[in-house]
Amino acid sequence: MRRIILQGLMTILLFFGTWYALTQIDWIKIFKVKQVTVKTEQKLGELFWEVFKKSEIEMNNAHVLHSIDSIVSHICKANKIDRGKLKVHVLNKEDINAFALPNGHLIIYSGLILNSDNQEELAGVISHEIAHIELNHVMKKLVKEIGLSVLISMTTGNSGTEVIKETAKMLSSSAFDRNLEKEADIKAVDYMLNANVNPEPFADFLYKLSETEHESTKYLTWISTHPDSKERAEYIIEYSKAKGTEFKPILTNETWGKLKITLKGME
Amino acid sequence: MIHIKKFSYEPGEHEAEAASSSYLMSLIAIIVGVPLPIVNLIATLIFYLGNKKSTYFVRWHCTQALLSQLSMLFINSFGFWWTISILFTDETITSRYIAYVIAAIIFNLTEFVATIYTAIQTRKGIHIEWWFYGSLTNLICRSKS
Repeated sequence: MRRIILQGLMTILLFFGTWYALTQIDWIKIFKVKQVTVKTEQKLGELFWEVFKKSEIEMNNAHVLHSIDSIVSHICKANKIDRGKLKVHVLNKEDINAFALPNGHLIIYSGLILNSDNQEELAGVISHEIAHIELNHVMKKLVKEIGLSVLISMTTGNSGTEVIKETAKMLSSSAFDRNLEKEADIKAVDYMLNANVNPEPFADFLYKLSETEHESTKYLTWISTHPDSKERAEYIIEYSKAKGTEFKPILTNETWGKLKITLKGME
Repeated sequence: MIHIKKFSYEPGEHEAEAASSSYLMSLIAIIVGVPLPIVNLIATLIFYLGNKKSTYFVRWHCTQALLSQLSMLFINSFGFWWTISILFTDETITSRYIAYVIAAIIFNLTEFVATIYTAIQTRKGIHIEWWFYGSLTNLICRSKS
């Protein structure tokens, strides 16, 4: 009997030993798994951005772009995020929406800026989207929803333009799963606190827009696709409460005011 | 790892054929069973149950074939669910995962080769006892006489 147990244990040990020995090799590097992913992501980012570029109007007003860039750069600098890898685009559309595409493309609709009561609300949404990019949620969602093989076939030109359009639309109009959303919310609060931006207005923004009476409900893509806004607002408040810091606005009141006036004039 | 031992009696032609089939059964099941790990176990289990009332030699080899599938079931099931979680959840491909797959392939191949060898030998009426599984089978499967 003892011999059998010993032999059994040795067999188990042999398997785990083999596994352990094999883990000492960097297989990811050998099989170039990451490179494939990086290249695929770059190509997908271009493909999806092309879809929006063709169908929407990109803003090129210097003041609008400069103001948004100030917010994004401020958040990136305070959180040691490489600003260069983010490609921010502002589109002239009344929907209250912002979303991330592969390879660091961050799309912001003018409707979101116009419906933000203050710059902290906008900074909150931007931080949330940067968090999705930094946490690699975009690629995770794509792989989960449509599969790596379809994604690769898109980049090699073996997929129809309709599939690419539909996938791009899906990225702009559907949320990530609950855990990923929460992870991005918490990360966004961290980003804001590090950047001395008050996260409370971000929570208020969620509260405010979850009210159905709000005048802009029909354009509320960002909120309608992000479920349980009230619950999210609550844990954002709860999480940020414990970490008191001094808050400072990123843009001056004049710049923020001018930004909204400029956008209103373009509607 | 594999020992040729003398069985308590000389198996007949019919017995050798049935015993050899139990390994062939698991061999076919391995091919299907790598992506769907439960198949190997079910196949050998059916064969085992079907030969429960057979002669000692046949029963012995059916038991050894069944037991050998059990450990592969654990290894392959873990690999199977790990792969599923990579495909459908946030889990990503890591060096640890690739190392596991390679280790699983090595063990599956070893078992595959050992199974072919044992199937050939038992067909000739030669009694083969595997490391660990042979001793375990001796413990479970006893002669009725």
